[in-house]
Amino acid sequence: MAAYVLTRVRQSVITLFLVSIVVFAGIRALPGDPALALAGEERSPAALAAIRAEYGLDDNIVIQYGRFIGHALTGDLGTSSRTGLPVSDAIGQALPVTLELAALSLLLAVVLGIGAGIVAAVRRGRPAEWIANGLALLGLSVPTFWLGMVLVLAFAIAVPVFAASGYVPFGTDPLDNLRRMVLPAIVLGSGLAAVVMRQTRAAMLDSLSADYVRTARAKGLTRREVIGGHALRNSLVTVVTVLGLQLGHLISGAVVTEQIFVLPGFGKLTIDAVFTRDYATLQGVVLCTSAAYILINLLVDVAYSVIDPRIRLGGAK
Amino acid sequence: MLSTTAGCGSLQSSATEVGGERMTDDRPVRDGGTLTVALNADPDKLDPSLAQTLVGRTVFAGMCEKLYDVDEAGKVVPQLATALPKTSPDGRTVTFSVRKGLKFSDGTSLDAAAVVTSLLRHRDLPGSARATELAPLKAVEATGANTVKLTLKQAYVPLTAVLADRSGMVMSPAALKKYGKNFTNHPSCVGPFKFVERVGGDRIVLAKDPNYYDARDVHLDKVIYKPIPDGSVRLANLRSGDIQVGDQMAPVDVKSALTEPKLQLFNSPSLGYQGIGLNVGNVKGLGEKPGKLDTALARDVRVREAFELSIDRDLINKVVFQGMYEPACGPVSPESAIAPGVAASACPKRDVAKAKRLLKAAGVKTPLKIELKTSTTPENSRLGQVVQAMAKEAGFAVSLRPTEYATMLEETDSGHYDAFTSGWSGRLDPDGNIASFLQTKGAMNAYGFSDDETDALIERGRTEADPAERAKIYGELTRRANDAHALIYVYRQKNYVVAGKDVAGIRVYGDGLVRVKAAGYAK
Repeated sequence: MAAYVLTRVRQSVITLFLVSIVVFAGIRALPGDPALALAGEERSPAALAAIRAEYGLDDNIVIQYGRFIGHALTGDLGTSSRTGLPVSDAIGQALPVTLELAALSLLLAVVLGIGAGIVAAVRRGRPAEWIANGLALLGLSVPTFWLGMVLVLAFAIAVPVFAASGYVPFGTDPLDNLRRMVLPAIVLGSGLAAVVMRQTRAAMLDSLSADYVRTARAKGLTRREVIGGHALRNSLVTVVTVLGLQLGHLISGAVVTEQIFVLPGFGKLTIDAVFTRDYATLQGVVLCTSAAYILINLLVDVAYSVIDPRIRLGGAK
Repeated sequence: MLSTTAGCGSLQSSATEVGGERMTDDRPVRDGGTLTVALNADPDKLDPSLAQTLVGRTVFAGMCEKLYDVDEAGKVVPQLATALPKTSPDGRTVTFSVRKGLKFSDGTSLDAAAVVTSLLRHRDLPGSARATELAPLKAVEATGANTVKLTLKQAYVPLTAVLADRSGMVMSPAALKKYGKNFTNHPSCVGPFKFVERVGGDRIVLAKDPNYYDARDVHLDKVIYKPIPDGSVRLANLRSGDIQVGDQMAPVDVKSALTEPKLQLFNSPSLGYQGIGLNVGNVKGLGEKPGKLDTALARDVRVREAFELSIDRDLINKVVFQGMYEPACGPVSPESAIAPGVAASACPKRDVAKAKRLLKAAGVKTPLKIELKTSTTPENSRLGQVVQAMAKEAGFAVSLRPTEYATMLEETDSGHYDAFTSGWSGRLDPDGNIASFLQTKGAMNAYGFSDDETDALIERGRTEADPAERAKIYGELTRRANDAHALIYVYRQKNYVVAGKDVAGIRVYGDGLVRVKAAGYAK
């Protein structure tokens, strides 16, 4: 067991190292000179030279990488060339926003998607199914930006129940936090809810026509027990798999949502960094995201190996 | 330049008409409250020596006063200095006094030594964005506790206007010593509000500064600046009341705001210009000597003139900007208090027949292919499309290439382009709108334009003390720039600021900044 975990950790470290090289090189392959972007309106050759010297942009790319990785290993992700703020602070401030947005959207998608999926399957061929299907189609087709603006017009301006923008940490003021996060969560979660609804409906239809459901009915179980205890439980396996696959989309989808609702999350941080060629911030953000993915994979693999010892055989010789 | 003050005026028609202006709202305000101002971008460093952006200047307007300021008529007036500077007859020595008893937000005192420290830092700090405009400064010394003497390498008339911008901001020497380059995260100046915190990409928070000399006239407790790049999102937030002031609103959003009874509009003419830059000699990149470029546009001035004649400035203003900007055909705004430029009514009209004749005379095979790089904003894309359609009638085949900002800078500076949408937010002194762009060695002469006479006139404009003579020089410079057709001036933006109707006391002047010192919620 320990040997397997060690091997997986070693592999993860190597992966992260390779990712750091790809990230570093990829960012530098972007068109546009960061010194020019930074100097903006008032660029003189002397100012550009000073900017390049300050951020080591004149150095060989290998030296630049060495400096970056050396600092990163000590937890120093550098300072934003644009704002002068430490990158780790920016990430620390942005991460909770995006995580909360993703969590709320996921919750919404699960509750709405599974609920509507069950209704659509159970009420097959009836108006309830058509409505659920129609809503799912809408959820998949409506552009995020448009939906966001419509919701703001309806629920922040016409009927001002929610706020149009901004973020207040949950710990500071839970009510205000929710007032600001509900609309973005609906916008981000609606697409995922539609996917979950369709998967749930399909899986439930399969389950409802399966033999074990017929047997359960024959045994005289109530409708609630048959649907909730048997059909749904079996259908959830597929749904959960899909949810897992969609998590990545949730994070990337947050980019647009955060722009509409002016949420200072990871998406907004990344976009701002790209447009200003803020290498340090961009490297930090991408590296942190990659590290998180690698860590999750590592944890999942280790968890699998605990559940099913046969999995270890592939890794530990 | 008139300012219409309004008791409880909403989106007044004068503010949306070409030539109409509304810069202030002088209703009495009550003490207290927080004002949230939405900016169209996240400011860069909050360090007056290093800062580069217009939005950054707006934040500084709340916390860093300058030796001189601009009033609503576009004139330079003393701010931290006691009076306009005294210049020696040869123009090489400039003296001024600073006000007594002023305190920085960190509680330390402002004196002549602090001014010397700040000016030297602006000039000498590596990467300083102020280095070029303060380059003529040979020496700076404190001749008394509150008097400063500047020695210049040569007469430099734009200096006072320069000191009315970030170069004139005085920073606390104690804070500079304590934080060094990290001053950007702990800025300390003399101003109505002091820096509290910055959350990158989200907000910059300022609070009323009790050390401020005029604190009795500051009414708000707090000002929060929030970057909201998207215009429609800014407008939605104004409507919902989540923000109270929206800076740099686009015409299309202003038109939408007109329907909202809870909002009011301020506007002022801008000092800048927007146009189309043509590559006439940028072969080796910015900063290198212009050379000969083998394109029809670069070879023959008649081709460039034909391109300019194919454009209808009035129609562009009407179609792309809802008629809310102004046609422009020169680097200096006609509203400028120093050497005003060409009035919009005097701009050349579209003349397709003449354009065709010029192309024929130049022996160019039509349609002549030109690639026009535009920025990626919806307005700039529309501008490109209208120019494309207009130029087609004269014999140009314009292809559009929407290019994101950082890439555009790199490609145009290195000379890899035919034409691009080129703009400038503007400076108080005409020199700031001309020298960097049209001087052979200009820091932003991406056009590769080089003309000895122009270079000489720019130098003369800087040293000529007589205002009437200066106006003549800048008139001649404008004429030469227009004859060269390397930078085609097309329109002049106006500064549109939308605010909640319950907000009074904000000031929107020609420099494009929103001043919040006297702002507050109406009684």
